[in-house]
Amino acid sequence: MHRLTAALRDDQTRPAARPGGSWLGALPPLTRPIIRTMPWVMLITACLISLAYLAVLAHFAHAPSPPLGPDAARLAFLPAVAALAFVPRTPVRPLTQTTPVPAWVVPAGHLLLAAPILAATCWAQLRIIAGTVPPHTLGPLPAVYPLIAQLTGWCAVTVAVAAWARRSRYADLSGAIAAPASLAAVALAWYAPITSRFVAEPPGSPHGVTIVWYAVASTALALTGVAMRDRWHRYSRRPHRPGPAGHDRAGYPFRKNR
Amino acid sequence: MTTTDGAAALPGAGAAGPPGQHTPAGLTKRSRAARRRTVLALARVEARLLIRNWLVLAGVLAGGIVIWTFLWAAQPLWWDADWQIGEGQLTLAMAVLVAAQLSAGRPRRDAMTDLYASFPARASTRTLAQLAGLAGAVPASLLLIGAAVGFVQLRGPIGAPSVAVLAGGLLLVIAAGAAGIAIGARFSHPMAGVLGALVLAITSWQSQRFPGAIPWLLAWPLESNGAGQLDRLPGPLAGYPPAAAHAAELAGVAVLAGIVALAVTTRRARAGLAAAGAVAMAVTCLAGAVQLRPIPTADLNHLVAEAASPASAQHCTTASQVRYCLYPGFGRDLPALEAPVDEVLAHLPARPSQPLTVLQVLTIFLSDPVLTHGHPAQQIARWAAQLQHAQPGVSDIPAASGIYLPVGSWPAGGGLLTVARFDLALAAAEWAVHLSGTSGISSNGLESCVPVGQAREAVAIWLAILATHPSASELQGGLPAGHLFGTEVGNTIVPTWNYPGVGNGYVTPPGGGPQLTAAGYLLASAMTRLPQQRVAHVLAGVWGKWLNWRTTDAQLAAALAIPMPSVPAIPPHPSPGRVAPGPGPEGPGPQSPVCTG
Repeated sequence: MHRLTAALRDDQTRPAARPGGSWLGALPPLTRPIIRTMPWVMLITACLISLAYLAVLAHFAHAPSPPLGPDAARLAFLPAVAALAFVPRTPVRPLTQTTPVPAWVVPAGHLLLAAPILAATCWAQLRIIAGTVPPHTLGPLPAVYPLIAQLTGWCAVTVAVAAWARRSRYADLSGAIAAPASLAAVALAWYAPITSRFVAEPPGSPHGVTIVWYAVASTALALTGVAMRDRWHRYSRRPHRPGPAGHDRAGYPFRKNR
Repeated sequence: MTTTDGAAALPGAGAAGPPGQHTPAGLTKRSRAARRRTVLALARVEARLLIRNWLVLAGVLAGGIVIWTFLWAAQPLWWDADWQIGEGQLTLAMAVLVAAQLSAGRPRRDAMTDLYASFPARASTRTLAQLAGLAGAVPASLLLIGAAVGFVQLRGPIGAPSVAVLAGGLLLVIAAGAAGIAIGARFSHPMAGVLGALVLAITSWQSQRFPGAIPWLLAWPLESNGAGQLDRLPGPLAGYPPAAAHAAELAGVAVLAGIVALAVTTRRARAGLAAAGAVAMAVTCLAGAVQLRPIPTADLNHLVAEAASPASAQHCTTASQVRYCLYPGFGRDLPALEAPVDEVLAHLPARPSQPLTVLQVLTIFLSDPVLTHGHPAQQIARWAAQLQHAQPGVSDIPAASGIYLPVGSWPAGGGLLTVARFDLALAAAEWAVHLSGTSGISSNGLESCVPVGQAREAVAIWLAILATHPSASELQGGLPAGHLFGTEVGNTIVPTWNYPGVGNGYVTPPGGGPQLTAAGYLLASAMTRLPQQRVAHVLAGVWGKWLNWRTTDAQLAAALAIPMPSVPAIPPHPSPGRVAPGPGPEGPGPQSPVCTG
């Protein structure tokens, strides 16, 4: 936070009004603080765990065991998806909102930085899986594009859930909420008979599944944008509407407000 | 601010002496008692928080859903169901791990370490209390076990639950919680707990990827992966799974994780912790070694003998001149098996000369390394040869008069039982009209034959519908509108009908059963709309004629004075997603033989 304000101050940006587009000039000096505040260790650790796990599986995937397939890649990618839930965060959001730069710039920058890391992880996973397929295998290999669409959709859903959790009273635990919640939502969609024919392959066709997951990803990203641009400030209690009297957990009297 | 995150005040917590008196040398009996009271008081609060934790509650719910998903459709065999209950416990364990990590990492995550350090209770005391507070997860786990046991018990299970397996599920939850505290003591970021839970789950979900008996060393290998043949066994098999050793391993891991958590948060009594850790490690390793031992040869010999010569193990009874042979313990399925067969027999004008036998078969895969690891290849080859001679139809029962029921495939109730009863009735009806044992050899090898345009096919389907009264939607499901299935016979694509449960493997009809056609089903469906006496009269009049494979369905329709239902033709070039094999750019597709037996 201090780094961000300092960077803005150096740039002579006025912290008062935020007319459309004037804050764009503050982006170049913001780049460095955004890079430095990015949770690199967590994201890269999760991606490395994904790759290490897949590498261990690939080590054991020799005849007569079947070669690794998209299922293994999907499961191995889960730690990376879970780590993504912790990326979009704005420390001290009420204070950040008073700066000339919109509050969503920092989490959006973090997400942009995370994208190539996740893409590289996905690429490495596909390379590991391809290495387990024995040469001269008869028949076509499963298509890769539905898998990429699925993983993209999972990431987008996770980011959207995390962004909305950030706007709740549980903002501090938004990542811890978003990771299991989004994974549970994906699992539900995957296994529920009503939705599985659209999002899982099989029974869905590769083409159809790809379209559905990219549509889900687009919707999730739009929702993420709405959540990150939301400037509503949450109060734990409304200050001006008295309610029935009560006591808090420490025993102090207060008035319940709804 | 307390370690309880603002919860109620701690009775006895204030009794601890000042921090300066907390050296081991200075611990008097009174201060030890005070510390014990503090730990117990904190543990009570932590346990209460854990019980109310929304993650744990969601874990119980998700675990219940997982157990229900695995158990609702399956035949309730206790040696299989108790392991499935543990799979639900795995879901709960993931939730408990995350919740425990969040709890243990709270001071560092909230940057309150200094404030917590000013409390009378030391960090190690709080950690000890958190470990004891894992007792809060026990009711959740027991609730899950109790509900699942009740669910299985209500469905009339076979066998008895293994206490070691059920206890293993409980220990899994506690071990996961202890691991969560150990992680949280060192890594306060919430992501660490989520990662731990994912590693716990993914290794179990993908346990089939690990060689030999290594899946048993993982938290809880999923039955569909690591322990995949439990539901195919006719009874419990010693060492499959190695339940007691697995429970001991989980207990060792729980203690080890607790010691790690304490070692991270205390600088005293390191020697004691190291000694306890060594003991826990030894127990864990010993339990792991026991799990890696191969299943005794005598037990596998017995299993293979049961599969190869079922007569040596099965109990056979004869009812209505039909012989039923079932493995011990499966006798309670007899009424459910007899009912549809008797219904079919009741509507027959005359019985075939060959007697009908309904018997259970055991399908085990010796290529599964979890089952046969540690045994020499020659021994496995001998077992495989022994099993090969026991394939249905090769044994003393003629293929044309045997209906085979794979062990563990018969559903316990609900809609699936209706489907299974229909499949059994259809198999009996196929035997009755001599459609059994008619699989032929085509250009592609052994293949189901197709009774194209044969009257006896419609008669068999009509008998099965009459015997079990399945819903029209289930029957119609084999003919999705505008989505016909087909098979190629004599360079002509014949629309086929997939009867309910065709892919579920509840029953293997005599000779593998024919591939039924859409025309046969539609005629049978039209027959069910006629008065039953009228159809029975027409069939009884010239029963021998209808059994002749040359008698056509059109002749039957004419005898019943109904128009032959028209079958929509399959388009020559199907759009993607439609199944319609036939001549393509590469030439004619695989040809199926006509049933002529």
